[in-house]
Amino acid sequence: MSPSRVTRHIETIPFLDERDVPLLFVLPGLFVFAAFMLFPVVYLVGISFTNAKPATLFAGEGAVSVLTFGEATLVGLENYASVLTDPMFWNSFGVTWLFVATSVVLKIGLSLGIALVVTSERVRGKRLLRSFIILPMGLPAIFTITVWRGIFSSAEFGLANQLLTLLNLGSVAWLSGRWSAFFAYNVTEMWLAYPFMVIITVSALQDVPEELHEAAMVDGAGYLARFLHVTLPSIKRPVLFASILTAAASFQQFLIPYVFNQGGPARANELIVVYGYREALAFSEYGRGAAISLVAVVFIGAFMWLNVKRGRLAEGVAEQ
Amino acid sequence: MSVLTRLVRKLRGDARTLAHAPLETARDVAYTANGVWRGEISPTKPVKTLGATIGALIMVLALLFPIYWILLAALSPSGGSIYSSAGLQLLPRDPTFQSFLWVIGDLIVPGYTLTINVPLTNLAVVFDTPEIVLLDVSRYGIDNPSDFKLFLWNSITVAIPTVIISMCLIVPAAYALSRKEFIFRRKVLFVYVLMTQVGGGLGIALLIGLYTVYVQFGINDSKLALAVYYAATAVPFNTWLLKTYMDGIPVSYEEAAVVDGAPPWRVVTEVILPLSAAGLATVFIFTFLTGWTEFVVAQTLLGTENYTLPVGLFSLVSEYSIPWARFSAFALTFATPIMLVYLFAQRYIEGGLSFSGMEG
Repeated sequence: MSPSRVTRHIETIPFLDERDVPLLFVLPGLFVFAAFMLFPVVYLVGISFTNAKPATLFAGEGAVSVLTFGEATLVGLENYASVLTDPMFWNSFGVTWLFVATSVVLKIGLSLGIALVVTSERVRGKRLLRSFIILPMGLPAIFTITVWRGIFSSAEFGLANQLLTLLNLGSVAWLSGRWSAFFAYNVTEMWLAYPFMVIITVSALQDVPEELHEAAMVDGAGYLARFLHVTLPSIKRPVLFASILTAAASFQQFLIPYVFNQGGPARANELIVVYGYREALAFSEYGRGAAISLVAVVFIGAFMWLNVKRGRLAEGVAEQ
Repeated sequence: MSVLTRLVRKLRGDARTLAHAPLETARDVAYTANGVWRGEISPTKPVKTLGATIGALIMVLALLFPIYWILLAALSPSGGSIYSSAGLQLLPRDPTFQSFLWVIGDLIVPGYTLTINVPLTNLAVVFDTPEIVLLDVSRYGIDNPSDFKLFLWNSITVAIPTVIISMCLIVPAAYALSRKEFIFRRKVLFVYVLMTQVGGGLGIALLIGLYTVYVQFGINDSKLALAVYYAATAVPFNTWLLKTYMDGIPVSYEEAAVVDGAPPWRVVTEVILPLSAAGLATVFIFTFLTGWTEFVVAQTLLGTENYTLPVGLFSLVSEYSIPWARFSAFALTFATPIMLVYLFAQRYIEGGLSFSGMEG
């Protein structure tokens, strides 16, 4: 088809005119993305209203059985009722938010500290230090997390236990205790996320006007006073932006609990995404798993929506 | 100027700066020492600088210590030195490349017999290609090398289709979003920016839906189907990234080409694409790494025969007792090339994360 014929066809569609032809360039990507994101959402909603188990769900063959969810039967809101009254769910829900809170605080603290050091005027060779310090960002997440699992290995030769031995403390079975495992998750998440936070914090710190510092120094402000009254207000917005993103990442953390000890011990530390995944694929409760996943999706969506609205993340996009 | 020459020039510049750094430092130190000696500079300042720099260096080393630790484990004979109760060791004791050999395994090109029939006669020419032995690990006492090469092949056959499919989807869309004004343009951009932030975790939450659909269509063990999924997840972030890169190309270049009478498609192939080479390279790397490093979906969908490298790595950990030296060597062989690519691409990645990208 020649371009002019395409244009003529487009013009016969209501709402569109000639200048909307470039939409055709965007549609394939949008369509494929929607097919792999929206369709599973719709399907997940469907499954969450059934009592699907592997035996029933995969009973039929081909396209028709996809639409009827195999031979699973509709049970209405039963899954949601059973999930929302299950103490396991509330445990997972609570642990997830606790993890978000602790890990975000730790991540901000660590990366602010690192960023202050690598932008300090006293330190030489800052550029070199910076390019090394964000190296972990280039490592695949699965590599980092399996290595940290080795570090927190319960045996004597795990790095964490070796350090404890150096300090003449006894070794700890890190991943078999609930809170020690939770602590291990936090440390790993901190290491996983600090390069991203450091990049954003450093570029924010470099944008703090030098004159402000000089003026404060003339007024006799010490280092701490300058940090609290000059640096912090100037970097607040970018750091807040990074914190929101990293909070969303913490909320959706799957790999750390899954690789460390499958959200154990005794399912106590299953963050919500792990809980939904395991409920479906390890315990064959597809309906319940789907319901849990959807609750998680709703929370992530609400969280992001609130932040986009309030923090005006996509300012430039929305205003034009 | 091609991307490669520019890259080489940049690297050379980096290397020169790095090589000159000790000289500069020495000159600095000499100058300061001289100043202190003559009483022109107060001695407290240099001492503070030295202290701060050493402190920063210790911090960096401490943060990167896990990587060094895994290297130590990989070089130790069968994880021996970590098993020892002697505690932490900072230098490898009798280092050996045994574990790396176990990862790589045999590199043998087997001999083939080629037969070519000479036409119109009963004669045939028979060639025996020689067996080429690059590396025979059984000579180093390794009987059962890892499946690294199988995983590597799987990873390649997943990552390359991912790159091809996603580039086909991303490049035209990025161009249209950057240069044209059309209905729903802002809505599409908004959705893409939003998805950039929540995409990953959402993928896992939706995995149950994806898994059941894939199983019902019988494509759950297909590497191509996996590649299509990866390409789909790579669309929002990379389209947005390439679009912001193209925004930086002055419109006047295109106008000049149009004035010279170039048809629209030639403006794209001769102006836009060459000028966005660096952006295209970044997107190429990112989409490649999507398929190369993804774990959860690959582990859920693929069967043992089709395991990609990340899943293969995890399958070593999930065994009852972890063979430390081998696991470390496997992990490093998997991660080091990516780390190197990342080191080179660092500038672009940092640029992509900056706030300039937030403007529609």
